[in-house]
Amino acid sequence: MGLLDYYRQFEGMSEEEVNEGLRAEAAERKRKALMRVDTLDLSQTTWPELPHPSIVSAITFVARRGLHRYPHLQRGSQLHGELAERYGVEPGRVILGNGAAELLSSAARALIEPGQRLLSTWPSYPLFPIMARRAHGQAVRVSGGVDALLEQAREPGTRVIAIASPNDPTGELLPTGELGRLLEGLPDDVAVLLDESLVEFSDAQPVNSSLGLLSEHSRLFVFRSFSKAWGLAGLRVGYTIGGPGSEELLGELAPDLGVSEVSQAGALQALRSCSEIVTRRVATVARERVTVTDALRERGFDVSDSQANFVWAAHPSLEGGELSARLSHAGILVAGGAALGEPRHVRIGLRDPASTTRLLDALDKAL
Amino acid sequence: MRTDPSETGGLFVGRRPGTAPVHFRELPKRGSYLRRRFDSSLAGILLGAIALLSLLCWGPIPLACLWVAAQINYQTGSVSLGILIAFVGLFVLLFGALAILRRLDQAWILVRRAAGHDQRTGILGRVFAITAAVCGGAFMFWFIIIHGPGMGA
Repeated sequence: MGLLDYYRQFEGMSEEEVNEGLRAEAAERKRKALMRVDTLDLSQTTWPELPHPSIVSAITFVARRGLHRYPHLQRGSQLHGELAERYGVEPGRVILGNGAAELLSSAARALIEPGQRLLSTWPSYPLFPIMARRAHGQAVRVSGGVDALLEQAREPGTRVIAIASPNDPTGELLPTGELGRLLEGLPDDVAVLLDESLVEFSDAQPVNSSLGLLSEHSRLFVFRSFSKAWGLAGLRVGYTIGGPGSEELLGELAPDLGVSEVSQAGALQALRSCSEIVTRRVATVARERVTVTDALRERGFDVSDSQANFVWAAHPSLEGGELSARLSHAGILVAGGAALGEPRHVRIGLRDPASTTRLLDALDKAL
Repeated sequence: MRTDPSETGGLFVGRRPGTAPVHFRELPKRGSYLRRRFDSSLAGILLGAIALLSLLCWGPIPLACLWVAAQINYQTGSVSLGILIAFVGLFVLLFGALAILRRLDQAWILVRRAAGHDQRTGILGRVFAITAAVCGGAFMFWFIIIHGPGMGA
């Protein structure tokens, strides 16, 4: 390096040169941001949008008021009263829990003696066999609908039938008439745990039609959740509604120290101010459900009649795991059926028209 | 206690004016300790040259131009030609000196940086102001004390 070169290396860049460099960096960042395509996660059954700001505000208000105390006794809480009024039942027939899953597990433990049987259709919610084992019972998977369930229920030792409606992962809804037929035909000592966590997404029958059976069948327990259509999975709030005379058993399902006060505040705010949002969300899912189901059938898929926020589909020549891997390469995640009970299938979540378009484009390339 | 020089207390959006760091095209390779000492001395020499040249602008150059003008007037008998030559000479010499001063100032900045200092601005403005004050003071001293008021009358 020459003498002058040595000193020239200490020359600073002019303001124009610096600004030109900054503009080039900004343009590069923008180019990269535009090129980046976020992964579309259609593998979950929860709703992907963030909660409404009013829900967050309600939670924040309660959190700032004080987290140093135990939650109020839930039977006296506003959320509990709101739910009882919403469904027109006595407050004693509604119980709050930390999500429908926890209430289902509690119900299985309360009802099942060691060695007794819990029946569930299959494929279905993977928690059902697990909660039977945790209660030291026996999980029995049944295929064939209500008739098969009735036949199995007459076997000695059967205590509980767990049904998800709409069913996860198939999305199929158990019609109220079929549920009534099941309840009519069951032995007296068999209880039915009806998991309706996804029922808000259904449009084939009124959302609350199953609740009409509660007054006649005290061994029916309906479980619902704020995790799916309400989009509040992180709050872990669910509830159980029972028939007349079920108050004592429902009391056994309640969490020992109640449900978090902030969770209750969020769920209560959602009930009071976000019903229209949920209605719009459900309408969108219903439209996309028809679009995706028709499109998949046109492409040769075997698709179940879903009433949930997903479809359960199988390609005639492609395993579910292979299809999900190919879609994953295109930036779309779907749930492979192997973990859900049917390796040939995939469970594809439903979102909005843009997601549907992207899904179908990726499917055409993947097949 | 405020320790961050770029902390403006909300007065400005972004960095406080005049505190922007120097952006180099490439990170300079700094010399050894002796080289930096040499550069520090060289910066001092450059500063002396700047001060000297700056002083010339406030006294010797104008006086030299007046002397040349007087000589032309004496040789040609033309006052106008003398004044014209004096103005042209003064213009060329002053602006030439300023151009040289500016180059010396840039060189001084680079040498200061090479010596290890965070030198962001030049020193020409301050030197020019100081030399103006020095020359002005010297003139006033000569005019009032040495020459004395009314002595020429």
